[in-house]
Amino acid sequence: MGYDPANPMVDRITDIGPPHFEQFFPPVVKKNYGKWLYHEITQPGVLMHKSETGDECWTVRVGAARLISIELIREMCDIADAHCDGYLRWTTRNNVEFMVDSKAKVQPLLDELASRGNKFPVGGTGAGVTNIVHTQGWVHCHTPATDASGVVKAVMDEIFDYFTSMTLPAQVRVALACCLNMCGAVHASDIAILGVHRKPPMIDHDAITGLCELPLAIASCPLGAVKPVKATNSKGEEVKSVKVNADRCMFCGNCYTMCPAMPLADPEGDGIAILVGGKVSNSRSMPKFSKLVIPFLPNTTPRWPETVAAVKNILEVYAKDARKYERVGEWAERIGWEKFFEKTGIPFTIKSVDDYRLAYDTWRTSTQFKFTSHIK
Amino acid sequence: MATIEHGGSSFDVDEDGFLTKGMEEWNEHWVTYVKDIEGIGDMTDEHWKVVNALQDYYKKNGIAPMVRILSKTTGFPLKRIYELFPSGPGKGACKMAGLPKPTGCV
Repeated sequence: MGYDPANPMVDRITDIGPPHFEQFFPPVVKKNYGKWLYHEITQPGVLMHKSETGDECWTVRVGAARLISIELIREMCDIADAHCDGYLRWTTRNNVEFMVDSKAKVQPLLDELASRGNKFPVGGTGAGVTNIVHTQGWVHCHTPATDASGVVKAVMDEIFDYFTSMTLPAQVRVALACCLNMCGAVHASDIAILGVHRKPPMIDHDAITGLCELPLAIASCPLGAVKPVKATNSKGEEVKSVKVNADRCMFCGNCYTMCPAMPLADPEGDGIAILVGGKVSNSRSMPKFSKLVIPFLPNTTPRWPETVAAVKNILEVYAKDARKYERVGEWAERIGWEKFFEKTGIPFTIKSVDDYRLAYDTWRTSTQFKFTSHIK
Repeated sequence: MATIEHGGSSFDVDEDGFLTKGMEEWNEHWVTYVKDIEGIGDMTDEHWKVVNALQDYYKKNGIAPMVRILSKTTGFPLKRIYELFPSGPGKGACKMAGLPKPTGCV
């Protein structure tokens, strides 16, 4: 029976969890599960896994916009039906993988994908730039300082050649978050694009009563800039409200997350910061956090040329200078951050100097440094 | 913002049906209104115990209680609270009690 609003608990099914992943294994994966011997990347976007049974699983990875229509999903299903017995998978970076069980089936699949224009670009493997992990932006969220889908499209268009090739020293992970909630991977990516505010919140004394739990707004501030006050609303009534010490506010927007009467989005104030040098893998060096190198770039819709240029510049300087297997963070730490700024031509600003609680450990307690163009 | 008329009282509500003016406008007509839209049959003493606990805590502390505190003060485990309020303590019980809409990454 269909859902009955008058009896919402009747025939209700709950706590069944996701379907077991094994149900959707291609037969070759199911048969060889846990028996893989080795793999090869035969060309950008194409992988071959060899099993100890002698079976091969060929994977074709294609880029996807993450935000996609049901029509596009159906088109992917059609391709999977025609070439892969109806099986496909998504990667953790929102690429799509089509798997076939013999080399002979790879080229027809590639031809089919190529015949559909630019919908299914093959790539994203090895030492290149794969998909950008990103967030909601102006499509769906209420706290963003920039857009997600738009910036991602603009950046990927410019660095598309790195998606379809494997010419970099190591893989470069680019991520975007539209506010510093950092949903996704911004804090640990080779190049991270982050939406930032530059103005303190506005407080709506008319709406704050009944809309906000004031102690939550106060406790949400990492710098203790929000204080409870008695304020006067537009009707002249005295209401319990809050005050923001603008000198202490660093525009994180946490208070707006907790209290809808404290909006801070601003078209001129908001923009993008660029962080670099993060990684999550343990190979060679330990995982790293990304570090702020460009404090602000404007929101220039719809193509964000400043952000695109900044990402491309970092990528190209890294590609030219880093050693094989060296991630962006490993490269920057080997040559020294002062050299990173010099080589990339990024102006070093006071905004990159940490001033939050544990900041001391990030300053240089050594005489070891290199003279660079930044030291006058 | 919409205004809802129920049982002779009118209430300012947001798009999710929470009172925008909070407990200023809260009364028993609001409770019967929420009861109907939340699929709650009859208001039992247990329902009232939860609503009163939420209101008392909010008046005293200015915030809604954490779920563990609500369970401790009422003596109802979370499972029982869901049985009383199918939408849960936030969307169900807090709405009925006239507390602000829960915020954050929910």
